[in-house]
Parts: sequence; C-alpha cells; structure tokens
Amino acid sequence: MTIKLTGRIDSGNAAEVESKIFKEIESMDSSEALVLDAADLEYISSAGLRTILHLRKTNPGLRIINVRPEVYEIFDMTGFTEMIPVEKAYRVVSVEGCEEIGRGANGTIYRIDKDNVVKVYNNADALEDIQHEREVAKLALILGIPTAISYDVVKVGESYGSVFELLNASSFSKIIASEPDKLDWCVKEYVDMLKLIHGTLVPKGKLPDMRETAIEWAEFMKDYLPEAEGKKLMELVEAVPQDDHMIHGDYHTKNLELQNDEVLLIDMDTLAVGHPIFELASMYNAFIGFSEIDHETIKKFQGFDFETSKKFWHKVLAAYLGTENEAIIREVEDKARIVGYARLIRRSIRRGGLEDAESLAEIEHWKAELIELLGRTDTLLFDVNAASEGGSSSHELVIEACPENLDEVMSFVAKTLDAVDCPPKAAMQIDIAVEEIFVNIANYAYAPEIGNATVMVDIEEDPLTVSITFIDHGTPYDPLAKEDPDVTLTAEEREIGGLGIFMTKQVMDDISYEYKDGRNILTLKKNLQG
Amino acid sequence: MLNTTKTIEDGVIRFALEGRLDTVTSPDFEAEIKASLEDAKNLVLDFEKLDYISSAGLRVLLAAQKIIGGGGQMKLINVNETIMEIFEVTGFTDILTIE
Repeated sequence: MTIKLTGRIDSGNAAEVESKIFKEIESMDSSEALVLDAADLEYISSAGLRTILHLRKTNPGLRIINVRPEVYEIFDMTGFTEMIPVEKAYRVVSVEGCEEIGRGANGTIYRIDKDNVVKVYNNADALEDIQHEREVAKLALILGIPTAISYDVVKVGESYGSVFELLNASSFSKIIASEPDKLDWCVKEYVDMLKLIHGTLVPKGKLPDMRETAIEWAEFMKDYLPEAEGKKLMELVEAVPQDDHMIHGDYHTKNLELQNDEVLLIDMDTLAVGHPIFELASMYNAFIGFSEIDHETIKKFQGFDFETSKKFWHKVLAAYLGTENEAIIREVEDKARIVGYARLIRRSIRRGGLEDAESLAEIEHWKAELIELLGRTDTLLFDVNAASEGGSSSHELVIEACPENLDEVMSFVAKTLDAVDCPPKAAMQIDIAVEEIFVNIANYAYAPEIGNATVMVDIEEDPLTVSITFIDHGTPYDPLAKEDPDVTLTAEEREIGGLGIFMTKQVMDDISYEYKDGRNILTLKKNLQG
Repeated sequence: MLNTTKTIEDGVIRFALEGRLDTVTSPDFEAEIKASLEDAKNLVLDFEKLDYISSAGLRVLLAAQKIIGGGGQMKLINVNETIMEIFEVTGFTDILTIE
C-alpha cells in the first residue's frame, strides 16, 4: 500500500498526519508492505520523523520513495537512511533529439550533453539491472579494464537510465565509418582490448559463467535440430572447459569508445567468464551473423556497410589469433559460427521468428549452416596463438627502435608475462634485461638513423622458461664480446656506465648472440621455476 | 614514472623516491641530484617506494658518489631485497653506504 506524504510535516500537524495514516492502513493486510511516497513532501521536522518511527513499529517493512534531495538530507543527517530504506527521487532526463552512440542487448546509450551519456534500459523495471551493471563495471575497473562507471540513476520516460561521464568520446563504429584510413589502427586497439579482457582472471563467483548459458542454448536447440545434430551441439559445448577469464559478451565496435587518447570499454552488463570461443561467437554475430541475409542490417546497427564489417572482423580474427594463415582463421571462425548460429536461432524463435516469413527464412538459413558445420566439427577449442608450435606460445612486437618506445616494449613484455605465473623478482630482472638491450639497440644500432626492432617473447613449459629475442638490422654488434667491468674497484676507480650488459648477464640464465642475414639476433632466457 | 620528494633537514638533503629509476626517468633525477649537491654534500636516498632500478639508475648513483667523494656522505635507506641483489651483483654494496 502506498501513501502520499505532502507539504510540510512538523510539530503543528504531525499528530494529525499520523492518525490519518493509521486510519488509512487499518484495513491493510499485515503481509503487505507500507510505502510512503514522498514526491510532494517539502519538509519534515523531528516531530514528523517520530511519526515515521511509530509507523515502522507496526510496519517493519516500511519504505520511503521519491524523496527530494533536500528532504533526503534530513533523513540522512538523522540516521534514518540507515534504519529505513529511503529512495531518492530520480532526476528526469529526456533523450529526445539526442545522438545515439551505443546500443547493446539491454539498452541504448545516448549523449545528453558534451560530457555525459545516459544508458536507457529496455526493461522498464531495470533498477536491478542498473545495480548489476554498476557492480560489474566496478569489478572490471578494479581488475584493470578501462571502463566508465555510472554516477547517477535517472528516469527517462517510463524507463530508468544510468548516467556516465564520457567526454568527447567517439565510438569505434563511428571512427570506422567516417575514417576508413584508421581501420588498421582500430583493429589493433580493438584486439589489444580483447586480449586484455580475455587475459583477465575473475575471482570465482563474481560473474556468470558463459559456458552454462551456452549449454542452455544447446538445450533449447535440441527441439529445432535433427536429433544427431542436437546431440552433437550439446557435446561440443559441454566439452569446452570451464574458464575463469573474463569475456565481455557483447564486444562490438559501438561498445568501444575513444576518449581523448584512451580506449574505454562500455556496456558492461553482459560481462561474464568463459572460454574465448563464446566471445568470438557473439562477435561473429555482431559483424556478420545478424546481417548474413539482409546486409543492410549492419548499416543500421553499426553505421558502416557489410563489406567493411566483414573486412574488420577478418582482420580482427587474424590479429587476435596471431596468424595470417587463412585455413586457421577459417577454422576458428567456423567454431565461432556454431555457437553464434545457435544463439541467433534461439533469439529469433523466442521473439516469434517462426511466425513471420522474413525471420523464418533467416532461421532456415542459419539452421542449414549450423547443421553443415556440426557435421564437420569435432571441437570448439582452438589456440589463441594458432600459428605457433604446440607446448609454447609466442608473441611478437615490431617497433621503431628509439628510447621513447621503451615503455611500450616494457609493457608488451609485461603483458605477455601476465599469462604465466611470473614471480615479481623475476619480472623485475626481466625488465632490467629488456631495458638494457632495447636501449642499446635504440641508441647504437641505427644511429644516426632510426630503424625497427623486433621483440619476440616465447614461453616454454617444463621447465617454465621465458625467452626474449631482439632482432635489429643495424650495425653488427655482439654485446657479449665486451669485457665485464671490474666490480671490485672503488667508486673513484670505477667508470660510469658499462654496467648494462653485465647486469643482464647476471640476472638472466642464458644469453646468446648471432649475426645472421644482416640481422643482430640476441636471445635472453630466464627460468621462472628456479 | 618516478616521483621524488626532496626535504632538507640539518644540512642533510633527503630524497624519497617512488616508482622506477630507469632510462626514461634517470636523466631528470640526475640533474636534480647534481643541482642539490651544489648546496650540500650529505644525501639520504629513501628507496622504500622504489620498485625498480636499471643500469641507468646505477649510473646516477655512481656519478653522485663520485661528486661527493670524501667530502660528505650519500646514504641509501630502506632498500628492498630485489634491488639489494642488483647492488650486490654489480659490486655497488661495496661502494655505496646502504642501511
């Protein structure tokens, strides 16, 4: 039962208000909660607060809603907010005429002014969703994912919205659509973020498990596929191992924003944990699957055309997998399509797709593709570094050899090492070695010109060993040929400098150098188990 | 990134270092320390919050030690274990005063 509080409640009228309310709730079922709507309450004094305490005695579930900011302050100061649920009145925001900058499964994001955006939820009863998204965004931020966290909840028409600060940002969709020459840059940033997400371990129980969701899809699909294919789909999904790494769940280019020079991930409500195949499946759907029949769909959804979308997706997959090998890329894409089609078909059927001809044609198309794929696929698993040999993984960075790029080299190595359990001491020793070698190349290899250096990080198992190789095309130079400095001399006797290579030798387990085909090749090895 | 906080007490200059002393951050710190040594020859470097030192950082320490010579003292305090090891393998434990 909801009762409206109006005007002022003070010592002058508190007794009267109280007896009126008690009279009104006389007939109320004792199991029903009493709600006081304070939208029109202008002021409440301590006499009025006592009235509320009396009401709470007989109605322990009492809540107060729509409280104006100035009245909320009174409740807050007097400690009432600690005892009784007191909900503030929501600011009302209109999105009429506002630019749509993002669209996700659960809502649409509009820019409301230069600095702020609002995500309007599709579900009218979205307060819980908003709370959820806020919590997962906070979790992601703590785990190192750059994102925006909402700071206010507002009312937008009949729906709720959450407000974020997003200054001068533009989505990757917009950049791809309007600046075609930046496509490769977008691919790189987009893949870097994807790898960051997938490299993030999430504490158990904090996020939903995508594998379980996919099992539900497979279960649903059993009714719409031939028996053998239905069974195969379930087996494939069940064979995907449980994985505690993060996946975004709706990773398309409207959910990546460039704010000044920073790339931000938004629309976090689908955040989950699971094997990357589930992410690739939803990415396939976003870039290709949804628009497979009607290519115009992608234009409405992302602002760029189907050809661009196909090109972008292909480049992303190649960069993500670290290979140019078409067969490998195609194979992983096919695995993604299996999960992707299952999801698309279920989604369409649940939205009444079987009843309308256009959707039915789409469902039939997806289904035929799915059946064909299931006939020739035995696992959904794949290697992220598909191009490398089994038992080890390799990462490569090609970068201009100049001292300003040191930080990028260091963070590339650090990111690669994140994947293994590298003790902090070893990490620092690796840093020392990487810095020395890269700075050496930057200062001497091409001077006075500038050239590229290639940095490759390989991780070998058993024993866990990291090996880092530096390649440059500069002046032949064997740093190992240099005599070690005498470290027993006094400060006065010692020469400044000349310690770098010596330190590197001390902190690494093995260093080898060769000059081959006009290239200096220096390899450092460090055993991480020692 | 390196943050340095400089305080002077009883003629002793004290630098608290926070972050990384590497190729990128060393030149500024070297300039700062050299400028300070024009005023006084007694130096305390607090390494409590220093996470990392490379040979570029060692250069700065050796250069400062050479300037001070016998005319004063440079003392390093709160050196963590990993950095201590670097000092050991490079013989710096013998030429620096480390507490």
